Amino acid sequence: MCPLWCEKMNILVDIADFAVSNDPQATLVTHSLGSCIGVTIWDSEIRVGGMIHYMLPESSIAPEKAQTKPAMFADTGVPALFHAVYALGAVKKRLIVKVAGGSHLLDDNGTFNIGQRNHIMLRKLFWKNGILVDSEDVGGSISRTLRLEVGTGRVTITTRGQEKEL
Amino acid sequence: MTRIEEILDRIGTLPPLPTTALRLMAVINDPRSSMEDIVEVVRYDQSLTTQVLRLCNSAFFGLSRQVSSLSEAMFRLGTLKVLQLVMSVHTNVLLMKEQRGYSLEPGALWRHSVGVALASTVLGERCKIQNISLLFTAGLLHDIGKVILNEYVAQECHEIVRLVHEQQQSFIDAETQVLGHSHDQIGGMVAERWQLPDSIVRCIRYHHTPLLLNPPDPQVDVVFVADCVCLMLGIGVGVDELCYRCDHEVMQRLGLHERDLEFVGSQMLDELAKIEQIFGVRGSVSAGGSSR
Repeated sequence: MCPLWCEKMNILVDIADFAVSNDPQATLVTHSLGSCIGVTIWDSEIRVGGMIHYMLPESSIAPEKAQTKPAMFADTGVPALFHAVYALGAVKKRLIVKVAGGSHLLDDNGTFNIGQRNHIMLRKLFWKNGILVDSEDVGGSISRTLRLEVGTGRVTITTRGQEKEL
Repeated sequence: MTRIEEILDRIGTLPPLPTTALRLMAVINDPRSSMEDIVEVVRYDQSLTTQVLRLCNSAFFGLSRQVSSLSEAMFRLGTLKVLQLVMSVHTNVLLMKEQRGYSLEPGALWRHSVGVALASTVLGERCKIQNISLLFTAGLLHDIGKVILNEYVAQECHEIVRLVHEQQQSFIDAETQVLGHSHDQIGGMVAERWQLPDSIVRCIRYHHTPLLLNPPDPQVDVVFVADCVCLMLGIGVGVDELCYRCDHEVMQRLGLHERDLEFVGSQMLDELAKIEQIFGVRGSVSAGGSSR
């Protein structure tokens, strides 16, 4: 239980990590989303939320890492995130899903576009599992900070000091 | 004094790298050097030896028996690992500071630099580039020019960012247009002043423009790709965000494909987490998901 003086608590989600929470005072936050993708999921009825900051699309490039750090990859991390919120009582059909990140360098050939491949993999995963994305802010050559307020479900993106609601 | 003259003058005010670091770079730049040569350079620097042994004996490495000498540390952990620790200790003071002009909080430039150093090492092994130790050092120092330009970028940040976003210029081009120099060029000048080996000077000076070199330099190409990987992944990224040009030609001449970059990214992140743990910097990577 959060004492009265503790108004808000930030839970930092690092790169290649995910976190879930049912603490209404908590805010899940991840910084420096470049080509990586941040996904937030939130159950509006029981107010449970989760966030992942994955860096690469497929675990097949380093299967041994997927064992120890599933959140490094979309194909192992995103299912793990959903299972973690289900364990807290969330229900798939009530989940509000938001997506941010997938930026790219200034690259005419698209060789360095891990961001786009990250996004394509996420869309494939969601399509296969019948999950709809509520809103997203993807692409560009910018760095994003993503926040999810667990108590309200409010999701914001901060870029160059400007915050906007997603 | 014009601003360009002022910036160039400022290069002279940067504290020199410790003598041990300079001698060490000369030794690792020489392919004939042996492990004994490296130990010989470091052993007379008591403070450095103590710091390196403390790091080697940290719980992280989990050695069953404490090491008491540098040669023993190199034997048990590998020469490359010990060299990485030595160079990281040497550059800590310079790179750990906040670089407000670039919106890099304390530790962010160090994190980016170590990330590029590690990614350069992984790429160097994958592309069979000679002298991996040198690549680590070049990666570690590639953004040293930011330490000089920081104050000037702070003054002109608004205009540089405007050029980047309104005219789609790369951050390097915008820096050059507004300040007369970019951080890679300034870094090259710092490296020259420190009398670093030519190969390291080249890596620093051309780490955003490897295509300007004719003939191409594979070591520069590697540091360039390593920097691109770390920028993409948001490792120590500031106001410059992802606004740098990358080039397919460099990938082709190194024989690299898209998936190689992903492999390098995953390896680098793991190694970076280890170094952060060894140096007691806030761990950036945890083992998996957490419920809080």
